[in-house]
Amino acid sequence: MSNDRSLGLSQLARFGFADLTGTIAKLDELVKLVGDAGRSALAALATSADPDQALIALLNLATAQPAKTKSLLKKDDSAQRLCLLLGASTALTDFVMRHPVQLELFEKRISLASAEEVRVQLTASVEPMLTQGFDVIAVWNALRVAYRAELLKIAIFDLSQADVQAGQPLVAAALADIAAAAIEAGLHVARAELKLSSEHGVFDADEVDETRLSVIAMGKCGARELNYISDVDVIYVADSASSNLEPQRAVEIATKLATRMMRAMDGTAAEPMLWQVDPNLRPEGKSGALVRTLESHVAYYDRWAQSWEFQALLKARPIAGDIELGERYVSALAPKVWNSATRENFVESVQRMRERVTEFIPANELDSQIKLGPGGLRDIEFTVQLLQLVHGRADETVRQRDTISAINSLSEGGYIGREEAQEFSGHYKFLRLLEHRIQLSEMRRTHLMPSSEQKRRALARAVDLKLNADTLIAKWEAVKIDVRALHQKIFYRPLLSAVSKLGDESLSLSSDQVRDRLHAIGFDDPKGALDHIAALTSGLSRRAVIQKQLLPVLLQWFSEGSDPDAALLAFRRLSEDLGESHWYLRMLRDSSGAAERMTQVLSNSRLATSLFERIPEAAAWFENSDDLIPMTAAELAVEFDAVISRHELVETAATSIRNIRRRETLRIAMGAVLGDLSISQVSQGLSDLTAHYLGAMLAVATDMNGSDIYSGDVADVLDFGIVAMGRFGGEELGFGSDADVMCVYKTRPGATSEEAQKVAERIISELRRLTADQVLEFELDMDLRPEGKNGPVARSIESYAAYYERWSDTWEAQALLRARPIAGSAELQTEFLELINKYRYPVKMAESAIIEIRRIKARVETERLPLGADPKRHLKLGRGSLSDVEWLVQLMQMQHGSEHPSIRTPKTLEALDAMVAENLIAEHDARVLSEAWTLASRLRSASVLWANKRLDVLPTDRKQLNGMARILEYPRGSATALEDDYLAFTRRARSVYERLFYGVSEENRYE
Amino acid sequence: MERQRDFVLRTIEERGVKFVRLWFTDVAGTLKSVAIAPAEVEGAFAEGLGFDGSAIEGLARTYEADMLAQPDPSTFQILPWRGEIDPTARMFCDIQTPDGQPAAADPRNVLRRALAKASDRGFSFYIHPEIEFYLLKSTQLDAKGEPVPVDNAGYFDNVPGGTAHDFRRRAVSMLEQLGISVEFSHHEGGPGQNEIDLRYADALTMADNIMTFRTVIKEVAIEQGVYATFMPKPFTQHPGSGMHTHMSLFEGDTNAFFDPSAQYHLSKTAKHFIAGLLRHAPEITAVTNQYVNSYKRLWGGGEAPSFVCWGHNNRSALIRVPLYKPDKGNSSRIEYRAIDSAANPYLAYALLLNAGLKGIEEEYPLPSETEDNVWSLNDAERRAMGIQPLPQSLDHAIRKLEDSELVAETLGEEVFSYVLANKRREWSDYRAQVTPFELKQNLETL
Repeated sequence: MSNDRSLGLSQLARFGFADLTGTIAKLDELVKLVGDAGRSALAALATSADPDQALIALLNLATAQPAKTKSLLKKDDSAQRLCLLLGASTALTDFVMRHPVQLELFEKRISLASAEEVRVQLTASVEPMLTQGFDVIAVWNALRVAYRAELLKIAIFDLSQADVQAGQPLVAAALADIAAAAIEAGLHVARAELKLSSEHGVFDADEVDETRLSVIAMGKCGARELNYISDVDVIYVADSASSNLEPQRAVEIATKLATRMMRAMDGTAAEPMLWQVDPNLRPEGKSGALVRTLESHVAYYDRWAQSWEFQALLKARPIAGDIELGERYVSALAPKVWNSATRENFVESVQRMRERVTEFIPANELDSQIKLGPGGLRDIEFTVQLLQLVHGRADETVRQRDTISAINSLSEGGYIGREEAQEFSGHYKFLRLLEHRIQLSEMRRTHLMPSSEQKRRALARAVDLKLNADTLIAKWEAVKIDVRALHQKIFYRPLLSAVSKLGDESLSLSSDQVRDRLHAIGFDDPKGALDHIAALTSGLSRRAVIQKQLLPVLLQWFSEGSDPDAALLAFRRLSEDLGESHWYLRMLRDSSGAAERMTQVLSNSRLATSLFERIPEAAAWFENSDDLIPMTAAELAVEFDAVISRHELVETAATSIRNIRRRETLRIAMGAVLGDLSISQVSQGLSDLTAHYLGAMLAVATDMNGSDIYSGDVADVLDFGIVAMGRFGGEELGFGSDADVMCVYKTRPGATSEEAQKVAERIISELRRLTADQVLEFELDMDLRPEGKNGPVARSIESYAAYYERWSDTWEAQALLRARPIAGSAELQTEFLELINKYRYPVKMAESAIIEIRRIKARVETERLPLGADPKRHLKLGRGSLSDVEWLVQLMQMQHGSEHPSIRTPKTLEALDAMVAENLIAEHDARVLSEAWTLASRLRSASVLWANKRLDVLPTDRKQLNGMARILEYPRGSATALEDDYLAFTRRARSVYERLFYGVSEENRYE
Repeated sequence: MERQRDFVLRTIEERGVKFVRLWFTDVAGTLKSVAIAPAEVEGAFAEGLGFDGSAIEGLARTYEADMLAQPDPSTFQILPWRGEIDPTARMFCDIQTPDGQPAAADPRNVLRRALAKASDRGFSFYIHPEIEFYLLKSTQLDAKGEPVPVDNAGYFDNVPGGTAHDFRRRAVSMLEQLGISVEFSHHEGGPGQNEIDLRYADALTMADNIMTFRTVIKEVAIEQGVYATFMPKPFTQHPGSGMHTHMSLFEGDTNAFFDPSAQYHLSKTAKHFIAGLLRHAPEITAVTNQYVNSYKRLWGGGEAPSFVCWGHNNRSALIRVPLYKPDKGNSSRIEYRAIDSAANPYLAYALLLNAGLKGIEEEYPLPSETEDNVWSLNDAERRAMGIQPLPQSLDHAIRKLEDSELVAETLGEEVFSYVLANKRREWSDYRAQVTPFELKQNLETL
């Protein structure tokens, strides 16, 4: 036999073959079997998805059925139909090989049969066989062969379409129709079984005839958008057709009918099973009755059903058996479906639906899932069903079963823009086409992109001959990204339409419709939200235009936060303040990371939000996280100096200085909320800021012209110094901490001490006046000075020396441990430190002094605690909290500071570390103490950040705890975890403290 | 859950239930009950039943009094002693805070947490308790100031026509009606003392069952005109009422304590588990034996397990490894004998489980077996063998408890600090008593 040797290998490659050399031999063989027709088959093979596979199949077919194959190959169109199928589906190829008579289906051009036609066809395939004593297995075989012949026709039609993507919905509908027809035929078989044999129970033929049974399809079959291979979800409804038959008996018979029908689909027979009929969406699921009467269904949905069960009913459609009964079922339940959006737990159901989109996907499937995951089919279905449920209550036209019609009617109803709708349904069809082709190949239920290059190539060709594996994947990835963005565009963007012109098209929702949507995603006050959206998007300004673009995303972020309503309001205020600043608009538009960080601050910190409203330009810092690092002491000094030298008047200088403090506090607050700053960065930043704030105000009070403290130069009278005490001294300030200070001065030669004292007191009262700030509270606390509240507010250094020499109590020496001069001349600072070191680090601490400190502490524990406060929850004076740790550290510093200079520091944690290094405390004990101290400090700061209010007690309010936990970077809903951590940390700290501070041991412990 | 809930609602309709009692347990182990009408049940499932938690011992701090009782539909049972007139059902509840989180102070939640931890490690925890109690004529004391038992029989005695016999038959039948299987029931050592063994179940079900059991026993006693008490030691001269507890861990269907090739068929897991129990026994005793009176039983001689040791069939050891039944690998178990009938089963089981798990996690070595009757050894011998005593009084037990990270972690900080405060109060009240003993000893001589 001759062959056309001129056929080059590259030509074969162009035809789409992968195995080139082998193909020549195979073609030779084909020509041997069917003659010249084999040669002309090449053109047909070239149009198939997998020419290699198709050629092998063709050879097998020609070997088994030479005459028929030859006649098919002779004509171009039948040859093409045959090769298309052989190249696309090994499963249907096997079917044709099993039943060569089906080859005649390739002869003519195929159009899709109507639902009625296939129903008649399949019923006719079994009806004549249903006579007395029939062989049920043989009937099942006949039914399945008839079904697969119809399936084959659909596949041939599908593959020969000019535009396979556009035709996808037709194919899916036809697949649902033949499934319905198979079930109908199966019911006929089941009725015959019950009437003609007693194998499944003895039933009177009349009783069987009087039993009405309707099969309602749910899911994809109900929506007429079935896959090539899929479970068919159904629900059964039964009734009695005559008064002779008790309804209960009818249900019993119907249950048998349904069971036998399902066996006809999936029971063992020579021709393999079709698919599973899945009745598990029925009331009560697997454990519920298989068949119910209509009344029983209605009663169930009235009383017990969950919202999500109504969502399943969205697609219910009677497909077989008693259609009239089925229609009654659907119309009885439809109103309940569409009212589900008004049910209380609707928002939860929506979240549940969303979870289905991202439900657990095995890691190795993540990249190959066509159905699940972001950008998959479920994502589209979620968006569509959500919109249907939100708007379908008021508008019957969107109550469509299948996805494509739903998208169309949503678009016609004006709920989705026309362009988006087109894109969305295009993407849906594309993804479904992929799914169809993958399933058709082996008739396996899979939603995964094949991994082998060969299969991807075949898939690409099946979708479009011009595609190859790489371009297909690229296209698919692009669709996925688009689908993800479309959810945004379709759900969130139109929220703006009720109140502002979008400008791109005719789409506009009414405010009721928008409110329904806002409510569904968690806004408690949709009306208020709508007002804010209106304000943010009205007008033609650049700001409004950009906000129109950005709001859909922001709304989604807000809806994921803890308080969407409040966050939206704050955003509106901010936006109004910033007006048209071009950098703000640019930041919003260009840097999405910045916008997201901003939503985080707005929804998590009332302190930051309230400062933000005064300093809107701080929004710029979101763009660059370096901008959220607190200013260093040196930078602060430079800026404050510049302000002072720039201003002429005391009042304007002070105003500028106050503004700087607010701005820098906001900076630190934002860094803390966003988790960019550690607790030590926060406290260092706040301490530096406070020190320089005081220094700058002191300079304003004493040096500026126009200051009326003293007629001459203050510096001629005294050298004035400020000493930071307490947590301020230890550089451990948190948000909302008081600034503890003492003031000291040294009289200049030539000035009298009375004069100096008077000037010092006036400086202090001026300092108090200037530092006070109504917006961001500032409290100058001087209670730690000698003699406390009764003593003079300022003392000369000599007076301090005399006082400590004669009167000092132990507690005063203890307070001095954390003294740290922050203003005044270097000589004054040194002199003061030398003076107090004698007292705070005594060479030998008297036993009586130690006992004195213990006693004071014991008294403080019981007396200072506010009435009724739970000591376990008090952050400062409570069990194992700040004061326990600090008193212990201070006692040890006084005992050992003289001998171990390294532990002399006003900082608690630094002192603990140094004491570990000096072997004064066990490392484990120090860690327990510092953990408790750190957590208590962070909680105090977090309460101010979150609520803009300082709490000394760990709150019991769950919402407050949750908010604080978020700031401490616990996961959502961690109120209990935070509470438990705090109680555990402080309990352990307390036990270390008791052991080390009181010297309590097992023996002398008592409660 | 939804199906079980629906089952409950339907059963209420079908059986014409008139009242549903919602049960939960406070930290001390006392059963609390709220009765609601059937119409309210659906709402209780959906939103929980709000109640004032501050009225319940240890449940809530006064300032956050609002709590929710969330019924667990899987525990639904019709109460048999109510008969057919006004049928009444009960469900156990989980306690939640108003925002729907499990309440830290709910003992059931404590046990759930411990079980979840075990489940993370692949274990399920099964329990089989032997519950002892006394039947008394009433709560009235006799002339000598002692309670009066219903009979004077002894261990395994069959008392013809005796109250105890009828009593047990009635109680067992009621328990079975409540879905609680009874393994065994017999007369115990003391006069009027009875023992009923419940068939093994997972720990949460068993803790619920024990709470139900106590109620059933009390109800039957009332029905029969006697009084039942779970007090650990009501008689100085007779044995106390313990609740010996058999425990096993399963990994799927396999008993993790069983190893066919090891001595006593004890697997490595079982050995570490026992070691964990032994090491932590002193610090959990204030919970497993929570009353002043509990220590009168623990140190009352007889078979009471006063010393921390284990043995194979040693009836004086704290932990006994019972005789292994050949070819019943799944019956491998260990018996913890300290716990008494008045313990809060939720807290006690959570602690036993976590002590054992700690042993497994940290691979504690198992000390050697004690074959002698520990009571027959003298103190020096015991010290030489490294056998520690359990706490000798509630005071000692509190001191061990205070330092226990294991207990704090298991109970959660809330329950832990409540238990401590509550027990300290009990001890200090007890210490303030002048007892008949002192009066008898001292009054006439001093």
